[in-house]
Amino acid sequence: MSVAELKERHAAATATVNDLRERLKQKRQLLLDTDVASYALSHGRTPISFSSTDLVCCRTLRGHTGKVYSLDWTPERNRIVSASQDGRLIVWNALTSQKTHAIKLHCAWVMTCAFAPSGQSVACGGLDSACSIFNLNSQVDRDGNIPISRILTGHKGYVSSCQYVPDQETRLITSSGDQTCVLWDITTGQRISVFGGDFPSGHTADVLSLSINSANSNMFVSGSCDATARLWDIRIASRAVRTYHGHEGDVNTVKFFPDGQRFGTGSDDTTCRLFDMRTGHQLQVYSRPHENNDNDVPTVTSIAFSISGRLLFAGYSNGDCYVWDTLVAEVAFNLGTLQNSHEGRISCLGLSSDGSALCTGSWDKNLRIWAFGGHRMVI
Amino acid sequence: MAETADYSFAVEYHGPPLPYDIPKAIPIEIERIPVAAVAPPSASDAAEALPVVHPLTSPLRKAAPTPAVEHAAAAAAAAAASPTSVIENHAVMDGPDAEAGSSGLLGSSSCLDRSAELTEGGVESSGPVGSSLPDRISTESALSLEFDFRSSASENDDDDDDDDEGVAPHAKKALVTFQSSAQSSGSASPAVGLARQRREEFELRGKKGACYHCLKGSRFAEKEACLVCDAKYCSGCVLRAMGSMPEGRKCVSCIGFPVLESKRERLGKCSRMLRRLLSSPEIELAMKAEKNCEANQLRPEDIFVNGKKLTPEELVLLQNCSCPPPKLKPGYYWYDKVSGFWGKEGHKPHKIITAHLNVGGSLDSRASNGNTGIFINGREITKAELQMLKWAGVQCAGNPHFWLNADGTYQEEGQKNIKGQIWGKPIMKLLCPVLSLPTPTKAANSNGDEVIDMVRAIPDYLEQRTVQKMLLVGLHGSGTSTIIKQAKFLYRGVPFSNDERQDIKVIIQSNIYSYLAILLEGREMFEEESLAERRNSCQHCPSGNYESDDCNRVTDYSFSPRLRELSDWLLKVMASGNLDTSFPTYACEYAPLVEELWNDAAIQATYRRRSELLMLPITASYFLERVVDISRMEYEPSDKDILYADRITSSNGIACTDFSFGPLACDGHAIDGDQQDMLLRYQLIRIHTKGLGQNCKWLDMFEDIKIVLFCIALSDYDEYYEDPNGVLINKMIESKRLFENLVTHPTFEEMNFLLILNKFDLLEQKIDTSPLTICEWFSDFNPVVSRNQPSNTRNPNSGATMAQQAFHHIAVKFKRLFSSITGRRLYVTWTNGLAQDTVDAALRYGREILIWEEEKPIFGSSESIYSTEPSSYSN
Repeated sequence: MSVAELKERHAAATATVNDLRERLKQKRQLLLDTDVASYALSHGRTPISFSSTDLVCCRTLRGHTGKVYSLDWTPERNRIVSASQDGRLIVWNALTSQKTHAIKLHCAWVMTCAFAPSGQSVACGGLDSACSIFNLNSQVDRDGNIPISRILTGHKGYVSSCQYVPDQETRLITSSGDQTCVLWDITTGQRISVFGGDFPSGHTADVLSLSINSANSNMFVSGSCDATARLWDIRIASRAVRTYHGHEGDVNTVKFFPDGQRFGTGSDDTTCRLFDMRTGHQLQVYSRPHENNDNDVPTVTSIAFSISGRLLFAGYSNGDCYVWDTLVAEVAFNLGTLQNSHEGRISCLGLSSDGSALCTGSWDKNLRIWAFGGHRMVI
Repeated sequence: MAETADYSFAVEYHGPPLPYDIPKAIPIEIERIPVAAVAPPSASDAAEALPVVHPLTSPLRKAAPTPAVEHAAAAAAAAAASPTSVIENHAVMDGPDAEAGSSGLLGSSSCLDRSAELTEGGVESSGPVGSSLPDRISTESALSLEFDFRSSASENDDDDDDDDEGVAPHAKKALVTFQSSAQSSGSASPAVGLARQRREEFELRGKKGACYHCLKGSRFAEKEACLVCDAKYCSGCVLRAMGSMPEGRKCVSCIGFPVLESKRERLGKCSRMLRRLLSSPEIELAMKAEKNCEANQLRPEDIFVNGKKLTPEELVLLQNCSCPPPKLKPGYYWYDKVSGFWGKEGHKPHKIITAHLNVGGSLDSRASNGNTGIFINGREITKAELQMLKWAGVQCAGNPHFWLNADGTYQEEGQKNIKGQIWGKPIMKLLCPVLSLPTPTKAANSNGDEVIDMVRAIPDYLEQRTVQKMLLVGLHGSGTSTIIKQAKFLYRGVPFSNDERQDIKVIIQSNIYSYLAILLEGREMFEEESLAERRNSCQHCPSGNYESDDCNRVTDYSFSPRLRELSDWLLKVMASGNLDTSFPTYACEYAPLVEELWNDAAIQATYRRRSELLMLPITASYFLERVVDISRMEYEPSDKDILYADRITSSNGIACTDFSFGPLACDGHAIDGDQQDMLLRYQLIRIHTKGLGQNCKWLDMFEDIKIVLFCIALSDYDEYYEDPNGVLINKMIESKRLFENLVTHPTFEEMNFLLILNKFDLLEQKIDTSPLTICEWFSDFNPVVSRNQPSNTRNPNSGATMAQQAFHHIAVKFKRLFSSITGRRLYVTWTNGLAQDTVDAALRYGREILIWEEEKPIFGSSESIYSTEPSSYSN
């Protein structure tokens, strides 16, 4: 079989795949007779009402001297780790807003950080294409820096996101610009499995984020520059369980819905979407028409669900932070309009594990903690 | 339990009537606040357990919270502001601001709770003013009181942890609102304004010497003061008022404001109280922040020298000279650059500092307000100085004008000969202090030479500002890593640490194995080739039959079986792709064999045909020829080896190096201007271009860089690589595409670009055999061919060589492209990565651009001063 012939067949196959994909899309469109919002409205559900005192900024964590890129809460204690462009990780006590650790990094271009389930160590990764683990209890060296306790190397591109497998201190999943996600064993520093890459069903562009299902920690979902999200089973590295199409731009952020049956995505196409994990259907689009139709429309940088899933917090590149009512797809509130909100792009946000507080990190170098006030405790 | 209760407001009690009185909080008039008095000793043991302060009794006890609510309220209140007391409660009631409102409420509920506890416990206070008296305050020493407060505060913190934290943060909200209001009303001079405001506020509500936050405690209690507004806080409140101390000991509302001058000396010096409250790493952090953060530094614009505001660089110069002015504070100073005299404007000299510092304006004759008519270095001196001159034996008749040098020699204005030495007489050292005039210290007395020797540590706080970042971008193979390595060699005292060298050694050694593997692969290929050839020829001539057996096996490329073992192993390892991991273990074992292998005729024969082995990098021959040395265990890589070696700067990560340009040895003018410049640190960052393709997701991380150095290998124009779809793409075109991508990226909208055309030497080698027009973008290249080519290379007048013309053509193409996109100018230079001086020149050119861009607004259209043409050809 000659090369030309092979190429021909390859082209034909590609065309077939694209055709099938198009048909699948149309079929989906046909099957989707409704979405969450219209169904909820038809059943008389009313949008949640929110006033400016319901969610108040109660702490401002100052201390970074560069743009904050990422944050993570501990599962139990109320601590936050944040990563910033000043080349430091800072561990905060969210209640007292005190810093308990400041870790100087070897590579200042850090993109992500994560707290271990036990709260004893933190992980971070960035443009150095490696994921560094720091043990918070380890002795500082003579310059007062915490030494790296383990470095996970093997990615061929930047590390865009990392997350510990819940309840497993030694397992960590990273996503990377080399189009793969990797499950690591921290104790040995070895890769357990690689998701994507050489395998045909992997992402075809940089993977930007991942989220592990809290209900079933064998499943995780990843979002990528190829405008798709993919669902993976940790036990099956060879192929993606499912691929979710729908977005028209890079998927910047993915997050599992608290019940673990759905997940949300945020994208460069300014929308957030909700996908059903099992059917692969898109359940809802959360987008707001933009009055000024110029080209710098805000992109979604980060999302988080409230503990019940009723609220979807979405940070935008223009400094807005919408609180979506997931049921009726309306914006309940915009944290960006508050007087004491961030001045720059909101780059990351996260909900504390008990759902009572939201932390936002921004390019204005600060982190803010928002808590439900008034009569509300937790939604 | 706290989740279930709404803690913010005390709920009025509507339940069934109770057998006991229901307490109620009522607003209280300040005059009616009872004064704490000494409790009789008998009462004190009853209240031993808790430092409880009794609430005011009110005749109007009506509504009481139900116990559950009450408890939650107490917890919330405790979490809220402070283990509060009655006094705060009252004072806070008067305060009109938001904080007062919320914490007042909370405070009152907590009081209710405490009183309830107390009455329930059956403890009837026997204080002279009834149950409304704080019965312990005065019996305990202030210190232990504070300690108690602290411990109760920490208990409360623990509560916070357990509680749903929606509670605590909300309670804290008041503080934040308070802060913003304080900030917005800050006056023009914020430090003073804030201090005054804070004090006024405090005077409104508290007694003297009390804590500014809880309004308690006496002036003898240990307190920590805010560095900005001088508000003093007791140990219980200091952490609440100052928060996480991102800039050291400042109230939350004072963050970002400059510190009081009177407090400057205390910067970074921790008090005992703080040491008790915080763990030592926390203190270290806070103190480091206090010392180093920018807001706490002397502001250069507050200091005037000879009537001119200092620039940040000048301030650094002044503070870091060998003999700096003591206790520099904002104000007006004069400075005599020639002699080093330093003083406050309008006063006699205060100190002799290092001379010849380039700070401030020119010295005014009236600077020290003298009236003697005698001038030193153009300044009319004061009477005290005149006296000194007389004692020193200087002739002062006829109001002479003197030049006084830093070493103490003086001469009369307009005359050449030195008249004497002021500091010559030892007695002068004794006499000067009598007139309270300065004498030179040893350091100041020495010559000004050392000023130039300014390559010293940069203060931390300046680092942020003065690190100029340069971003080095280029396709794989364009030589960016060589440039990084060259920069390390050029500007760093120790380019590579021992550890790094050790790593490099391993990399070079494993590289050489991979080169050998490529050779071995080539050998196999050649062997088969020649065998096939031989077979063909054998078939053609049947007469040679008797030798066919032999010729089938032995060729130039055949191997001995011993070496075959090594060869097989190496190829197997290479094929499995884990040379790096298995290398160290096998290296010792096979090192002796390497020599044998290399000297084998078959390998040598293959090596001679290395140009046919496309996989073999050009630099491989450099290492292969020394393979025996390199494969030894005791091999130490030389600088040149490091420069030539591949893969040292990790290919998929990011590499960066910090450096500052040393003084340029060859040109003399560099001294004055470079003095400040040497303070500037540069950071060269090389990023990997993989993934830069369409979605430059992380390019916004490099917003703070000053210039992009875009590197292209000149030899790329006739080279191709295969993209994932199997299409051959010219590397030059690929570089162009990447260049366009970067230039149009929003992050780099106003960025300066310096195009570095690298590998000029390779261009020179190949331009004659392979025309530039091979690349379609350069199809319009029409070189002017000079007739006497071989002889003219040394003569710059007789036209450029072909390579130079080609370089020019490429440069112009890119310049046009750049200006068509941005309308600005592209800077271009050439380098030869392996030649140190060219890289040096290119990086210095980059620095020139930075300096020029900074000065552009000042000099306006002085563009012609700086040539934007590529720097001159020196070859």
